[in-house]
Amino acid sequence: MNDALNNMNIENLKFFGKVNASISHELKNILAIISETAGFLNDLTELAKQGKELKLSLLENCSNSIAEEIQRGFTTIKQMNRFSHSVDVPVMDVDLLEILDLIIGLTGFLSFAGNVRIEDKDQKFEAITTCPFILQNLLYRILCFAYECAGPDGEIRLRLSPEKDKGILLTFLNSAQMPVEKFPDEKIKQTADLLGVEFKKNNSFYELNMLIPHTCDKIKELEKNQ
Amino acid sequence: MKILLVDDEQKFINMLAKRLALRGIEADTAYTGEEALKKAESAVYDVAVLDIKMPGISGPQLKRKLFTLHPNLNFIFVTGHGAVEKSEEDGSEKDIYLSKPLDIDFLIETVQELIQAR
Repeated sequence: MNDALNNMNIENLKFFGKVNASISHELKNILAIISETAGFLNDLTELAKQGKELKLSLLENCSNSIAEEIQRGFTTIKQMNRFSHSVDVPVMDVDLLEILDLIIGLTGFLSFAGNVRIEDKDQKFEAITTCPFILQNLLYRILCFAYECAGPDGEIRLRLSPEKDKGILLTFLNSAQMPVEKFPDEKIKQTADLLGVEFKKNNSFYELNMLIPHTCDKIKELEKNQ
Repeated sequence: MKILLVDDEQKFINMLAKRLALRGIEADTAYTGEEALKKAESAVYDVAVLDIKMPGISGPQLKRKLFTLHPNLNFIFVTGHGAVEKSEEDGSEKDIYLSKPLDIDFLIETVQELIQAR
């Protein structure tokens, strides 16, 4: 287990860095909009000083735009905070829907992210005992793969269903076909193996199923050592 | 002087276009590479200001396509990332990279220098 974990460390660190870089990119975009809007307000002020009429609707649009971007910034920072704290405890009980919600938010910062939604979000599931950070890494990679297959206008639906005494079956339904030969790659395979996740593909490959166990031996061992 | 602004951050380029207009510079906006190519088919621009990472056609890919259409077009890349990526040699002038948030006076200065050097 330790060897496997050591091998995963670099990949996990890369994942942590990649997500943080995408968050910083998102925050920079937000600040760029606020900066341009503040610049525009300055331009309007200068024109008003020269005696030009100042339209109140322009001021209102600017203040609304700034407020929207600040809200977008708060949402981004909240996601950054949740992601950062996911490394606090190696193994814990997690709500899969909450993790999916976070990963959808984080992958949404990527330029190639498409539309994704979770079907029937009101369902309740038994918590799973796992390593939240590694599970996030796995889901992030799979969602990126699905986005790349779907293209910018494609749609991915996520369906969850309980598998008695086993865990939760998570299904990725893609509007485009996902090439069988490209999935899972070695990194996804290694990450899934650590979490005891099993993949089930169907022939059409518009659909990808993964069984996330309530827990597994490797996770129990990690839990004992934490 | 006519500029084409391309970025999927719509509010960003809309506001930038308004500020350029106040300074007497005409700027068209496009939110995707595909939209930019359509606009470039029917209009002539002096400079294209391109975001690097966009859904679909990326900034560098768009540059190559626009360059084929208009070999005299000048390019400026805008990046949200702190790091400035190495420019690519493809027969066109060396690429210029500006980091967000933009300083509008510096952008205009850069655009003018590009046009004068042509």
